[in-house]
Amino acid sequence: MPSNEEIRDRIINVTTMILNIDPSQIKDESDFSADLGAESLQSVELVAGFEEEFEIEMDEEEALSVSSVGAAVEYIAKVVAEQHG
Amino acid sequence: MKLVIYEDSTYENFYPLSLVRPVFELRCGATSLSEKLRRSFSNLDIAYFTRDYLAETFQTTVGNAPVNDLQAIDDDLFIVNGRWLCMNTQITAEGPEEVGVKEDSIVYVRVQQETVRKYLGQNINEFLNTVLEVLPQKAVDEELVSYCWNIVHHNSEALVADFQTLGQSGVHGEMHDLSCVYGDESQVFVASEAVIHPMVVLDSTGGPITVEDGVTIFPHSRIEGPCHVGRDTQIVGGKIREGCSIGPVCRVGGEVEEAIIHGYSNKYHDGFLGHAYVGEWVNLGALTTNSDLKNDYSTVEVKLNGQPIDTNDTKVGSFIGDHTKTSIGTLFNTGSIVGMMTNILGGSEILPKTIPSFCLFANGKAFKGFGLRKLLQTAETAMGRRKVAFTEADRSMLTHAYELTKDERQEAVKKSRRQILSN
Repeated sequence: MPSNEEIRDRIINVTTMILNIDPSQIKDESDFSADLGAESLQSVELVAGFEEEFEIEMDEEEALSVSSVGAAVEYIAKVVAEQHG
Repeated sequence: MKLVIYEDSTYENFYPLSLVRPVFELRCGATSLSEKLRRSFSNLDIAYFTRDYLAETFQTTVGNAPVNDLQAIDDDLFIVNGRWLCMNTQITAEGPEEVGVKEDSIVYVRVQQETVRKYLGQNINEFLNTVLEVLPQKAVDEELVSYCWNIVHHNSEALVADFQTLGQSGVHGEMHDLSCVYGDESQVFVASEAVIHPMVVLDSTGGPITVEDGVTIFPHSRIEGPCHVGRDTQIVGGKIREGCSIGPVCRVGGEVEEAIIHGYSNKYHDGFLGHAYVGEWVNLGALTTNSDLKNDYSTVEVKLNGQPIDTNDTKVGSFIGDHTKTSIGTLFNTGSIVGMMTNILGGSEILPKTIPSFCLFANGKAFKGFGLRKLLQTAETAMGRRKVAFTEADRSMLTHAYELTKDERQEAVKKSRRQILSN
């Protein structure tokens, strides 16, 4: 099971790749949309990217309701624990 | 005696259009396959058999006629395959017990009540398999459609047959002096509540044209027969070429050729749709175009349920499931199967020939999108705009279709995910 730190790093990597931004811009409190500029299609791509990265299946609505990087770390840690724990 | 219209086991060949309706409700010509059967055997009471999850929504369209009710068919029966494209047949409901067959398929079964009572159990298809063995068979040369493209292929012929059978002609509606019928006026029927604006040409030189009540045809539209324009539809400056069936409450512009638009769908803007079948509640964005002919003029192959099928036809367009929306500039390849309730952001490239149902398709990739609840909300909004109620039965039926298409969607979504992180 990956630690929350490892999950955060991997989330930052995926976010950097999909949104084409500098990783230094990404903080726990960063909002994917308001702060990092994710448009609706990119939000869907982020969900897909996280699913591939962590080999998980997320509920679309639940995943899209997660707005910040910190909340994504918690949510993905929970799903990873459920599906790989 | 009762007329029983049933679906056989080949309904998947008509996906995605048959995901939300019995195969016999597909339109060919001015009417559906079932309307042609009812018309051909019009003196009989009717019962229907379809897949269980469609029964409740289908029931709302047929009034009190029994649907999937085995107790209602304790009678002499004339049972007909819903895939029968029944035009000008010499076959009658009355006659000796027999099974009319074409190749390996049942076309009809004529059976007496005592045989029904002897063999009818809990399933109409098991009953049909039994009577196929015990009753005499007769080979018949009737048309059974096998795939969506067969329906499109026969559409012109069905339009002509429907026009002759319905027997209406003449311009009864409001037709502006600066519009005209080009060709034989007896081959045109414009209903009394239809309105035709100036600078419209109804060209009946190639076949008959029917324009139903509530239709408005806006200026600079040219409609070639054979063609049927269903009630309350608007033709907005369209080049409607031969062989088109446009169902009720559509808005159609651009260029359309030998295509069927089932109803309640919009193709308002420029762009070409040819040799295609479009389901209900579809919106094709501006400049959405399908190819219907390969550059080498070879026959078109369609991938259906994962299997490539040679259509043996050189002109095959797209088959677009209900509630699907396309963005501006979407380009469909020749012989494309486009799933239902899918949101397509086309971009500048020609899309793959198979697009799954209930997904978001963007940048050449399939995504799960925003979820089923959001898709159902959008459907409810779209239907509400046309004063059509979105019922719990609709919700249940669409949810079932979502589950049925899950495997195909997941496979496409997983493939797309790998591409995202490998780019």
